[in-house]
Amino acid sequence: MKKDRKGLYEGMYILSTTLSDESRKKAFDKITDGIAQKGGEIHKIHEQGRRKLAYEIDGKREGFYYVLFFTAPTSSVIELWKDYQLHEDLIRFMTMRVEKVQETLEFKPLKPQS
Amino acid sequence: MYQKRSSSTPNAHGSSAPSESPFAKKKKSCPFTASKVEAIDYKDIETLRQFITERGKILPRRITGVSYFYQKLLKKAIKQARYMALLPFVAKE
Repeated sequence: MKKDRKGLYEGMYILSTTLSDESRKKAFDKITDGIAQKGGEIHKIHEQGRRKLAYEIDGKREGFYYVLFFTAPTSSVIELWKDYQLHEDLIRFMTMRVEKVQETLEFKPLKPQS
Repeated sequence: MYQKRSSSTPNAHGSSAPSESPFAKKKKSCPFTASKVEAIDYKDIETLRQFITERGKILPRRITGVSYFYQKLLKKAIKQARYMALLPFVAKE
């Protein structure tokens, strides 16, 4: 058995908009605390704000988007997913391995073709 | 019919080389290769939108001219964006 390896992850989370600002903060803290508890470290938090969903999820049409960049032990990620599935205010989540932390979420448009 | 043909200028035919077929297709170039893109991000919806139809379907390579390598990255990015409700699976018309 190898020792706990750590990996850099990117996570996108959609929180419910029916919550008040305070309880949304609490719900988001639950996510960040969960990572810290498992021995992870958060590098960057991007708050993307309220956004219309492209399709309805569980009767919800809008969501609060967050993007996190964090390192966590690779073995703990499955445990994190189990926590997220029990999280009531979390509409959707996705975590994946990335190479580097994105400081800004701005993208260059493609060069126009002649 | 006869009227239409006579309306074209005589120079239009003379300028093109005789070996060139009038049905020859112009080779499309990959927009990602041209911009030297390293990776296609699922959060970059503005770019992804250029490669799906109004209905939300992924456009084939033969129409957009994307290279095989980038089409694979593009497919993955679009599907990730769909899961996070950034792009629709099926858009209403």
